[in-house]
Amino acid sequence: MPPTPTAYHRLNPLTKATIATLGSLAAFVAGGYIGPLLILAAMIAAAALGRVATQLVRLSLILTLPLAVSVVLVSALTRPGETVLFVIGPFDVTAEGVDFAAQTVVRLLAISTSLGLFTLTTDPRAFVLDLERRGVPPRLAFVAVATVEAVPIMAERATTIAESQRARGLDTEGGVRGRLRGLLPIVGPMILSSLTDVEERSLALETRAFTRPGRRHLLWAMPDSSIQRVVRWLLLAGFVALVAGRLAGWI
Amino acid sequence: MSWVTSQFDTRTIVLIPIAIAINIILGQTVASVLKVPIYLDSIGTVLVAVLAGPIPGLLTGLLANLIWTYVLPPPLNSPYAAPFAIVAAEIGLVAGLFAMGGFFRSRPLTPWPQLIMGGAIVGAIILVIGIWGFLPFYTDGTFTFFSDNPDASPFFTALGWLIGIGLVAAIVALFVLLFVRRDLGVAYVFVAGLITGIISAIISAPISAVVFGGVTGSGTDLLVAAFQQGGSDLQTAVLQQGLISDPIDKTITFFVVFVLLQTLSRRFVARFPQGERAIGLEDA
Repeated sequence: MPPTPTAYHRLNPLTKATIATLGSLAAFVAGGYIGPLLILAAMIAAAALGRVATQLVRLSLILTLPLAVSVVLVSALTRPGETVLFVIGPFDVTAEGVDFAAQTVVRLLAISTSLGLFTLTTDPRAFVLDLERRGVPPRLAFVAVATVEAVPIMAERATTIAESQRARGLDTEGGVRGRLRGLLPIVGPMILSSLTDVEERSLALETRAFTRPGRRHLLWAMPDSSIQRVVRWLLLAGFVALVAGRLAGWI
Repeated sequence: MSWVTSQFDTRTIVLIPIAIAINIILGQTVASVLKVPIYLDSIGTVLVAVLAGPIPGLLTGLLANLIWTYVLPPPLNSPYAAPFAIVAAEIGLVAGLFAMGGFFRSRPLTPWPQLIMGGAIVGAIILVIGIWGFLPFYTDGTFTFFSDNPDASPFFTALGWLIGIGLVAAIVALFVLLFVRRDLGVAYVFVAGLITGIISAIISAPISAVVFGGVTGSGTDLLVAAFQQGGSDLQTAVLQQGLISDPIDKTITFFVVFVLLQTLSRRFVARFPQGERAIGLEDA
């Protein structure tokens, strides 16, 4: 396991996952501005505890900016509304559209910081092993960990294939048609070459008692405390209260 | 119960992570680099569904989006995948069911009468979907791609016609493929992809509209803007966009898998739980 620099990192993965999931769901349930902004502030404060605040803000902006551009296009420019603020070319910018766009961007920022904080402070393997210790089937745990390992390998393979096809004269730049045509000579070899690994890997797993029934005994356990357990339940209760409040119309 | 567990042999379990990686790599490349209004982020899911069956397909789709959000480390991770996990699961399930029904079998050198009949049936399905499914959303009875909204800018009207022409070209290409390759399987794959796409569009539209304000950050957003400019409200605009993008996307995905199945060795395919059934070896 990599070193865990701060107390926030050392929290049990499930606690951090609960914070991330309920935070993003709450931003969505609360709606408006105040709820999502509070969650955004709380997540950045928590990130400051874990000394990843700048990374988190950068990550969240990188993830949200491309969407924000679309939000402006879809909501601010073309959403119908009564109060026309000003007109750009064929587009009427309405107060309702701008309001909707701003709410969407705030919500997206709250969602991306909640989940970003989790991924920045949690080792994926620790999370999956902790879940397995809590009763998630070992096969699902294997799938999750194997994916984490397969993605970078495959990204590298895709780059290699793209470069070798370009060396053979494939055009991957240019218009949409050119780019679409360039896709197939890369996608095909990429998928086929990774499928050839399946055979070897499954034989290797079979020889290592992968199909043995029953639970694995993990020598290593992620520390958890009763306080964290209480906090998780409290967070869940708070979220349920928020949903109930929204449904009843109190909030 | 044994019906479920028999679909999860070691080989399937090993295939799933690779399939998810294919989804993620392709999904990210297509969405962010190509900026075309399709996603292509379910090839891996469909592959598992075809080779191993509907339940593994469902699980692959579900896990793919959850892992994309929760487990992958930052540069590759996306917080916006998990809300669509249920759509991915549906794609896997439906693709698996189609494969079980033999929709992914190649049917080379089909005799001409059958081929023409198959072509006619596909044509009829396209017509029915076009008349009952598409046109009412895009026209108000008159044959304009967008409703006669005086505010609609010429750019979006042109975009609409461009997509219309693209759709017609795709349909023509399908018939050319059908009759040149003389493979009736093409028609089956097309129908399966179309239906899967329509179901996905209907499921994903509310999620996209409510959670994301109708945007995904890819080329599809231009379509949403176009439909909204044409006078639809956000929910309808997202559904209209989905009903164009998803059937095209899923049909392309299904074709990629269909071609892959024929490229892969029979030995490899047949070792998966549903492999023989999917490519029709068990009848031979």
